[in-house]
Amino acid sequence: MDDLQLLREMRSDIGSAPSATLASGRNTLMTRIGSASRSEATTITHAPDQVHPIRFRRRVLIASAAAALLVGGIVVADVVRPSGPGATAEAAEILNDAAAATLLTSDPVVGPGQYLKIDTTAVYVASVALGDPGKGGRSVEWLDKSSDQLFIPADHAAEWIWNREARIPTTFFSEEAKAEATKYLSGNPSTGELLRAPGGNFYGGPRLLFAGLPMEEGVKNLPRDPQALLDTIRKRGKQGRPEAETLESIAAALRTGAVPADLRAALYKAAALIPGVTVVDKEANLDGKVGTAIGIERPDRETRMDIIIDPATGLLIGEREVTLTAGETFPAGTATAWTSVQTSVVNSAP
Amino acid sequence: MSTDSDIIRRSRDSPAVFGELYDRHASVIYRYAARRAGDFAADDVTSETFLVAWEHLEAYDLDRHDARPWLFGIATNLLRRHHRAEAKILKAAARASSRESITDDSDRIVAQVDAAVATGRIARTLRSMAAIDRETLLLYAWADLTYEGIASAMDVPVGTVRSRLNRARRALRTELNLGLLDETENDHGRLAAAPRNA
Repeated sequence: MDDLQLLREMRSDIGSAPSATLASGRNTLMTRIGSASRSEATTITHAPDQVHPIRFRRRVLIASAAAALLVGGIVVADVVRPSGPGATAEAAEILNDAAAATLLTSDPVVGPGQYLKIDTTAVYVASVALGDPGKGGRSVEWLDKSSDQLFIPADHAAEWIWNREARIPTTFFSEEAKAEATKYLSGNPSTGELLRAPGGNFYGGPRLLFAGLPMEEGVKNLPRDPQALLDTIRKRGKQGRPEAETLESIAAALRTGAVPADLRAALYKAAALIPGVTVVDKEANLDGKVGTAIGIERPDRETRMDIIIDPATGLLIGEREVTLTAGETFPAGTATAWTSVQTSVVNSAP
Repeated sequence: MSTDSDIIRRSRDSPAVFGELYDRHASVIYRYAARRAGDFAADDVTSETFLVAWEHLEAYDLDRHDARPWLFGIATNLLRRHHRAEAKILKAAARASSRESITDDSDRIVAQVDAAVATGRIARTLRSMAAIDRETLLLYAWADLTYEGIASAMDVPVGTVRSRLNRARRALRTELNLGLLDETENDHGRLAAAPRNA
């Protein structure tokens, strides 16, 4: 008998991971990935990917529900079709006005010892996989809300403080979702975290403006010419990606709350150059604040990406992703991901 | 079929892709952790391994196509938090078989090594050896890593892996009365005992 063989026999009696354990571990991971990258980097891609099996079936469902699709199609055609190169004239006007207003409104001045405080409220899709996640198990989805406050010191190299509150399940579209959310929460008690990092290097890396671009570097080097800025943003994305992702990058930069006025204005003007960007809703309500929603459709995901601007001040109210068609969980028109941002100057941090 | 390094490269741009790495390797990490420290620790270690991996994504060497040594390395570090649970499991395993061995004719144990009895002896030896030797041995026999994989997981030269493994196996073979180990055997042990239930 070989010692290694005996040793290997010893492991045989330990079974495999329970699928519920794997599913819950995956959910924890995807939640972390989703929340970290929402605030640091890229886009809303995480939540949709997380529920990929559902999306696949959703398409089948929609194919057989032609009437529902048609209704969705009519609404969409009415509001979202581009009228030529760049955004629609109306959307371009609003974005360019917002850019002009932005430049007139001076950025808050952060004195020594003070902090720029960025309050963010965000909503994301949360999901748990029931059954075996690797084998077409069903997922149950709901919406989680989370709030955080980032304190950026006057000296950017000094210590940044980031209070990330726990995520709270908030919106359910079925009793089952509510029950699963409660069950999930009791097994994985959600706690917040208070992070401190010199230079904002939380989790061992710099804060990002969007996809892989560190904030400091982006703020310093991104072109302020709208077309050049748009080209740069497009170049950082994958070739041939949907234009909705270009707007997502712009929204990701804006929602950091830390983009200075000149770059913010350039981002608005760049958004005005994206074909397919249009005025979606002049009275869009986001977290109690009303503004103009400018959006672009993303047909492959059956969603629309919006940024919402206060037309009077040019300030960003927030951004959101809206479903265009009804899915298994969310009715058409649900904002399955949104972020509202508020910036102020404060004298102390936790 | 994409390699692990493809997944990691893509997840630097599209974070959700990282979920594929979890789907691919979470169950082996879980099983390894469960064998060593029980289900409770395995829950924690599996989940935490991927969170740590995610946070250190930029540090991953993309030339390495197989991410398992990296993941097992993280899991091994995390398992150190659960050394009490591991000790308890090994203690229980050692005790369980010593009861059985009383009924056996002690002279025949060596000749017909019964797996249950061997388990007790192995458990006892694993308990007694240095943690780094035990980790090396178990990464080899339970996680099915190669020498290079273990070197990468534990961040030591391959020569160190070889000597730790030799030391660990020598202790095991002494306890099991299997005779001394030579280098050839060390290299062929893997083939002689292909994983049955990996």
